[in-house]
This record gives sequence, structure tokens and C-alpha cells, in this order.
Amino acid sequence: MTTADDTTFWAQARAGRLVFQHCAGCGYVRWPAAGVCPECLGREYEWKPVEPVGTVWSYAVYHRAYSAALKGAVPYNVALVELACGVRLLTRLVGEPAVGSPVRARFEEVGEHGVVPVFAPLPTAA
Amino acid sequence: MGGSLPGAIRGRSAIVAVGNTAQGTVPGISADELAVEALRVTLAGAGIAKSAVDGLITCKSYGGFGIDTEIGRLAGLNPAYSATLDYGTCNFSLHLACAAIDAGLASTVAIVYGTTQRSDGNRFSHPLGRQDEASVYGFLNVAGPAAMAFRRHQHLYGTTEADLGRIAVSQRRYAEQNPLAVFREPLSLDDYLAQPYLVAPLRRADLCMISDGGACLVVASADRAAELTDRPVHVMGIAQQTGLRDRQNADQWLRPWIRQVADRVYAGAGIGRDAIDALYIQDPTSVWVMQMLELYGFVEPGGVGEAFAKGEVGYGGRLPLNTNGGQLSEAYMWGFLHLVEAVRQLRGEAGARQLPGLRAAQYCSTFGFMKAASTILSRER
Repeated sequence: MTTADDTTFWAQARAGRLVFQHCAGCGYVRWPAAGVCPECLGREYEWKPVEPVGTVWSYAVYHRAYSAALKGAVPYNVALVELACGVRLLTRLVGEPAVGSPVRARFEEVGEHGVVPVFAPLPTAA
Repeated sequence: MGGSLPGAIRGRSAIVAVGNTAQGTVPGISADELAVEALRVTLAGAGIAKSAVDGLITCKSYGGFGIDTEIGRLAGLNPAYSATLDYGTCNFSLHLACAAIDAGLASTVAIVYGTTQRSDGNRFSHPLGRQDEASVYGFLNVAGPAAMAFRRHQHLYGTTEADLGRIAVSQRRYAEQNPLAVFREPLSLDDYLAQPYLVAPLRRADLCMISDGGACLVVASADRAAELTDRPVHVMGIAQQTGLRDRQNADQWLRPWIRQVADRVYAGAGIGRDAIDALYIQDPTSVWVMQMLELYGFVEPGGVGEAFAKGEVGYGGRLPLNTNGGQLSEAYMWGFLHLVEAVRQLRGEAGARQLPGLRAAQYCSTFGFMKAASTILSRER
């Protein structure tokens, strides 16, 4: 068995929810998924939703397809978003938010991977 | 971190020989054979008998090659000590050799590396991490995190693409004088800026191209070194730091924990930053050069463009940097050729690119987002 089973994350994302493993011992929110809490080394956890907001750490725009499957996808962006819960999540940006700006998760189709989390600018007067 | 003894290995071992095979596309030879060929030319060039080698440290290369048990058999060696490291840059191999020598496990250690990843068609197209998010979002190649790290740096310090471009341009100037280099045609800053993005904001010249080749260094205890050569290059200081928690670390792709290597390596060597006459920074991307220039304290954060423009760092400047052309222009030998070049420069064997009056050189390298290491070398002990 794998100790890094993240299928729950992707399944819940298809249903429009952003969930992560929360350590039962210390509350640390794990990502990437793992069988052990990297803070307290406990093994018990629960998948729970988090507030789907964060800040854009940075992003890159791929003009080169590094695998054949991505030839039709370029140019595309990949971003790292720092979520309010502490997780640093790889994702895609929509609506061109700047580095350092607040973003909120949306759930959209990306290629053959189905509905996954993407992040869009957080309206300032929400 | 806390319990280390700064300076414990200072001057207790020395590099006594270096060598390399052809670089670039080297068909008709296996990765392990390239490693052994590098060993052969290195020993022959230095007049050291194979029987003098009692330690072997190999480096695993693309495709699973480079294991000590295979290379020992191929090279006809029964060394007292052998080991394989799962990662390159040569710093980690050199530090292990110094530790083995200091522990009395061996007195004369050959460090070898060979790869045929260019001929084998490796494109580093596999995701760098294990996360499925990498394949879902197309986060492939070191260019991705390096591009993000540079854009973050631009956000924090206002660094421009032209500032970054000066790194590749400087290294190409050295490569023009290096017959071993894969890329030798001139590259101006305008040429650089005219290149299309590969992974914006990075261009072709910001990323090294994979290549085939082999490299070797022989390290010996100070006593043995005196018997083997009249031009030993002494290992004066070594230091390492990891960032193994990876993305659990804040700003992991800026790798701020590298600074802890700088905190230790100069003190251990008894050689200050200002006494470094030539600097070598392992460069799968130019962004890593910029990061390490700052984290080792050679350049103020955000000041890389100005440092090159004012002649403080780089080709023709006060502090020569990657005088072989680095991985960006010479060849992708996973950092091994940086140390080979540093030794050649210190010994006065660098041909057309020989720098005058070198006493000390420093080599800084990283294994991705996992580990950092640095070595300070000196002609004098």
C-alpha cells in the first residue's frame, strides 16, 4: 500500500471541496499526502475541508511541452499558492492574479484530468 | 548542526589528480565505461598507478548506472573502501572521500562519474516530485521551480530578466576559450533577450543541456598527497545543509537554508569570503547561480545585474565565476567539472583561460531542493 494516497483530495476536488489530511494528534495540515505527520510523527488523521483561500507565491508559464501529452496545452501556467491553512499547493491560475495577491479556489476541467482546483483573484469587495 | 567541529578536516586531504573524457554526445560507450575511462585518463595524466587507489566513490547516474560494485569490477579494483552516492554535484562525493580518509578507511580515493543521458534520450520530462499534482498541472523539469523562484525574486527585489541574463552571458565568454565546451558561440545580452521563453521568465540560455561524458578526481590524505604530486590542492573547508522537508519549508524554492552552509564553511576553512579568488557555482539553471551568489554573501539580494555590470563578479571581473563555462555552456557533468576546473586553475593548468595568481577557490552546489554543500580549496595549507 502507498503511504501517500491522495485520491481523496482529487475526488473531493471533483465535488468542489478542498480537503487535506489533518493530524489527529497535533492538527498539522499535511500536503503532499503522507502516512505520517511530519510534525509529531503520529499516524492518525482525518480528511477535512479548509478555507479555499490563499496567496500566490509565484507562477511559471510553460512555452515548451516537456512531455508529448502537453504539446497541445502550451502555453500554460503552473503556480504555487500558499493557503491560509499553511499548505503550499501546486495549481493553475485563472484570471491572471499577480504574485503576492489573494486568490480563491475554483474547480474547473484541466485537460484529461477532469475537474481540479484552480485559483482565481479574490474579489477585493467580496 | 550544533555538534559539528568547524575546521576538523582542514588541510587533512588534498585533490591530487583530475581528469575528464570528451563531453557532449559520446556514442558507442556505456555510462560505466565512461566513468572508468575518466579514471584511466586521470591516473595516466598524473602518473598514479591504479594499485595506489584504495578507495572508490561513485555517483549514480541516469538509468541506474554508476554503482560502485559494477564500476569496481569494470575497473579491476578491490579497494579497501567503496560507496555510491545517489546524487551528484561532486561536493557530496568529495566530502565523503575526506571523511573516509580522515576515518582511516582509505588513503587514496578515486571519485568517478559517467553518464550517457544525452545519447539515452533523457529529457528530464518526469515530474520532479512524487505528487500527482505535478502531472495534473504539467509541472515538469527543473525549469518550472527555477522559473517560479526567479519570478518570486523579481517580486521581492525588482530583479530584471536582463540582470539574470548576465550570468549566462558571462559564462559563455569563458566557454569560448574552453575546447571542451559544448556551447562556444558568442552570446551577447541582446542575443539572450532575443531568445524565446522556454518556461517564462526563463530562456534557453538559463537552462543547461544534458550531455554525455565522464569525470574523475583523486583525493588523498595530506601525507599520501605529498608522495603523489608536487601540486596538491588542499581541501580546507567543507560544509553541508539539507532542506529535506521540501515544500513544508517556507520559500523552499528560494532555498534560504543554503545560508547555513555559508555560516559554517568559511569559519571551518579559516579562509574568508574576501580571500576567495575564483568561485564555482553548480548551475542546472542560472537562477541557482543568482541564489547562491546572494546566499553565500557575494552579492546583495537583488544586486546580481549590478554586480556583473560593475565588474565585481564574472568574466573579466574581480571575482571570476564558473571559468569553465559551467553547466550552462560547458557540459552537464552534474557539477563534477566545476571542481575539475577549480583544481586546474589552482594548479595553473587551465590553458587559454588560466587566471593569474589564484590561491583559493570555492565550489558551491545543490542537490535540487534537498541538499546544499560547499568546499573551499587552496594551493597552500
